[in-house]
Amino acid sequence: MVELDDVPIGPPPTDGPHPSRSRRGGWLVAAALAALVGAFFAGLSTHDFITHLDGQIHAVHCSVMPGDDAIVGQSGCKDAMLSPWSSFFRRSIWGGLPVSVAALAVFAFLAALSIAILLRRNRTRHDTFFLFAGAMLPAVASIIWAVIAATQLGDFCQVCVGMYASSGLLLVLAVVAHVRAEPAGGTPRPWGRWGLWFGEGTAAVAALVVLYLALVPSERKSLAGCGRLVMTEDKKGVLLQMPGEGITPALSVIDPLCPSCRAFDQRLASSGLDAQLNTRILLFPLDSRCNWMVKQSLHPGACALSEAMLCAPEQAKAILDWAFADQERLLTLGAHDPAAIEREVAERFPAVSGCVGTSKAKDRVTSSLRFAVANALPVVTPQLYVDDVRLCDEDTDLGLEYTLNHMLNQRAEAGAMP
Amino acid sequence: MNALVPQIPLLLGLAIPAIVVSGWLGDAEESLRATEPGPKKVAVAAMAEEGYCTPELKQIVRRVAGACGLLDAQGRGCQPADAAKIVQLDAGDFNRLFLPLKARVHIIQFDTRSAELDEAAQRAVNAAWSDRGGASFFFVVARASPDGSKAFNQKLSNSRAQSVLDFLEGQFKDPDIKKRVGLLWLGEEFAQLTADFCGWTRSRAGTECDETQINRSAFIAWIDCNI
Repeated sequence: MVELDDVPIGPPPTDGPHPSRSRRGGWLVAAALAALVGAFFAGLSTHDFITHLDGQIHAVHCSVMPGDDAIVGQSGCKDAMLSPWSSFFRRSIWGGLPVSVAALAVFAFLAALSIAILLRRNRTRHDTFFLFAGAMLPAVASIIWAVIAATQLGDFCQVCVGMYASSGLLLVLAVVAHVRAEPAGGTPRPWGRWGLWFGEGTAAVAALVVLYLALVPSERKSLAGCGRLVMTEDKKGVLLQMPGEGITPALSVIDPLCPSCRAFDQRLASSGLDAQLNTRILLFPLDSRCNWMVKQSLHPGACALSEAMLCAPEQAKAILDWAFADQERLLTLGAHDPAAIEREVAERFPAVSGCVGTSKAKDRVTSSLRFAVANALPVVTPQLYVDDVRLCDEDTDLGLEYTLNHMLNQRAEAGAMP
Repeated sequence: MNALVPQIPLLLGLAIPAIVVSGWLGDAEESLRATEPGPKKVAVAAMAEEGYCTPELKQIVRRVAGACGLLDAQGRGCQPADAAKIVQLDAGDFNRLFLPLKARVHIIQFDTRSAELDEAAQRAVNAAWSDRGGASFFFVVARASPDGSKAFNQKLSNSRAQSVLDFLEGQFKDPDIKKRVGLLWLGEEFAQLTADFCGWTRSRAGTECDETQINRSAFIAWIDCNI
């Protein structure tokens, strides 16, 4: 890289640093620090994302305080990471290309640019103007992603908030540095230098993206699936047909009060791939009131909701949507008084009144669980079987779109073969 | 040379993220290679197997199931010709085997010389059946009090066991019921219940109960054993 500008960078015309310029350089140092903080958060987010590329369960950093422990389990940060807004091209790359990689490159470049401008002996507002313009990019991106977090996720990832705050701070400091910089006087606009910086910035982002795409793990054994259904005949009629016009047969094993099932359902809907599936649901409530395979009720009340869905199969989707939407409250209610869930579901869906709690309803839940026994299914929810092949657990979150798309394409190719 | 100085931070701004990210990606690749796909240490769905499933109890259930044609899934019906021969236990040991099932058992009581299920009995059969859980077999052990002849009581206990099965078939219309329900009728000759069983869950709870009355009964329960 060669400096195209012909502005001399040699020693200043007077001895020692220009006192006012030195003071004004403090704003550039502050801008560089803000950009470095942004790079730190973007790096943290990128690290969390990349760590999950092996498909295993890992902790996620979820605090704006550097040094705080990462946490395992459900959190706003995890939800944000698993959401389709955390990365691009999810159907063609396992997990997609994380937005935070681009953010990391931009923040690192802006930090470097601030220092590069600082090192220029005869910097003027022409230089700081480019920093200000560059700082607009993360600021605008932050606004967009913050709106998405508020409207789509309903939760803010704290590490993301760290990036938003850094972006805002960087923009403010860039503006101040620009206002306090030496006026450019009548010097012409340095299009050559701006072009070079723009090229370097673009190259910095592109290089990191290309590097990511080149090195992202691509060999995945799990694409072949993790087992298959062996007894698919539904003699007892316990598999609940979901509405839709998809043609690829799919079986979703869920518990209406399982938070992971709700999150999985949302991810599947966000992916848009659910439209290609002809989905049936097998209820597998993780509630010891009806499920002998769990010794403690993980989701008390799930048995009553399962009974309701099996009592009125035509309303199963509506009951499930309600259970997912009101899950936290129902879980709390079920923990204190599981019978209250029976009453509430019967009030809300009169079609199940007189059925929930009866021996026939219980028998249907038992038959549903026996379908799981006949197929020796793992005692875990959610599970998705596409064309009887089980999607591996490690592919149900970040890699959902990629793996499901792969399975659907394989099926389409197999169907197209003579 | 000085012209290149401002380029140094820009180069570092490019190089440092690249080095760090490629290191993380390398770790992820390594971790992925080391991981086998599929569930890790996850239980597999199976029928229930409770602690009371002793080899002796399983043997009896298996023999009754075999005699009833349940194990070969033919569903030919239950014709235990000789209860004592099937269970191959003395009467005391036979009854003791069922003691751990106390929470599961419902004792259906009948009128004298009757095999008809009254309303309370029907409710009890319903309750017992719907409390299936992961059990494999529904066991019906019918008895008769020692009034009347042995032959009559053998036939009466058979009818009592059969009326439980008939009720279940009428109630649940499940073609698999015959494959799940094992019937054993003991007449008055084998393993009579003692008055202690009056304290168990019975269809005529709250009524007078003695050794004669408790044996005019069918002892029903799901057996949580993986046979």
